[in-house]
Amino acid sequence: MAGVSTKEIKNRIKSMESTRQITKAMEMVASSKLRRAQAQVLNSRPYFEILYSTINDIVDSNRDFSSVYLTKRPVKKTAFVVIAGDRGLAGGYNSNILKLCHSQMEGKDCVVLPVGKKAVDFFRTRKMELMTETYNEAEDITIGDCFSIAKSLCKQYKAGQIDEIFIGYTNFVSVLSQTPATLRLLPLLRQDTGREGAVSQDMVYEPDSVEVFDAIIPEYLGGVIYGALCESRAAEQAARRTAMDSATKNADDMIADLSLKFNRARQAAITQEITEIVAGS
Amino acid sequence: MNSFPLKIVTPDGLAYDGQAEQLTVRTTTGDIGILAGHINCVAPLGMGPCTVIAEGQRRTAACIGGMLSMVGGKATLVCTTFEWADQIDVERVLASEKKAQKILSDKSSSDTDIRLAEARLKRALVRKSVANRPM
Repeated sequence: MAGVSTKEIKNRIKSMESTRQITKAMEMVASSKLRRAQAQVLNSRPYFEILYSTINDIVDSNRDFSSVYLTKRPVKKTAFVVIAGDRGLAGGYNSNILKLCHSQMEGKDCVVLPVGKKAVDFFRTRKMELMTETYNEAEDITIGDCFSIAKSLCKQYKAGQIDEIFIGYTNFVSVLSQTPATLRLLPLLRQDTGREGAVSQDMVYEPDSVEVFDAIIPEYLGGVIYGALCESRAAEQAARRTAMDSATKNADDMIADLSLKFNRARQAAITQEITEIVAGS
Repeated sequence: MNSFPLKIVTPDGLAYDGQAEQLTVRTTTGDIGILAGHINCVAPLGMGPCTVIAEGQRRTAACIGGMLSMVGGKATLVCTTFEWADQIDVERVLASEKKAQKILSDKSSSDTDIRLAEARLKRALVRKSVANRPM
């Protein structure tokens, strides 16, 4: 009887060890990818930040509301760009961002542009209107793709097919913390932060404001989408690394626990054998 | 000469961050020169050479796409690509030029191919002229 149970325990230890090997390997893959993604985020962050603050400065000091990009209009259709991952096993990374975006879409007539396989699947099963499914590989998207996304969004916005554009992505705060967030891309509205007096000088637009905004806004959208994509990629790898790290630790704990049980069972079997021998003599 | 703070950023990182005395850059409507104390202005960038004079030193770069903004005395150049003359890979530029010309001379190329090739050729020519320019 004792022999069977030691064998069972042995089998379980073995399977646990192979699981541990897998999670360990995934953790190592994620950390090496994370290092690359982190370098990319650090490189692109100044661009992202300067682009964002420059556009805000321009919008804050703007007095000319002839551009469609700067005026609010009644919202009939909202577009959402949602950036998630291609694969699971990344802790709460995918579900956090998808849940956040889904809750913000409630009650609105939305069209979604999902980036990453998980986002495509999520919105397809919920029968949401999808703009395109071409971007189902978040890892392969280049900056050129970001600019073409931006261009097509701007075209639809100008044509009045969509009246609002949001982007949902995950902020890479640190290796241990990633926060999902949404950001309004269009229309660009003046922020009422009381800075009115600070920047109230006149602005020269070359050649004129409508043309300037027509040229700059797609550029801005492309840049922001690229920045959000870099953040999300790094966040995904960081989330996966943390998840796999804790999975490995759990496996270690279980192996230790099972080894203890195995040794006890083995000892019990030996004791029983001795008792039997002593009793028989 | 008076100087002003200048920042040049691209998606690949910060290309320049510091004081400059003069900045000349090609916008969609032609070259614009910026000196300290310039009025607030915004302009979209075209493709062309960009010259920065800082501490009496002149540096040239190939600058393609993006925008120039001058707000509150601070100049910011946000570009899609920005390469200093000494960083340009001339061999790659020549290869890219050749490839574009081949597509353009081919009668069977589609319209989108021709448009892409035209843009590629333009970029290659800008880079070549910047790389070959005497400093």
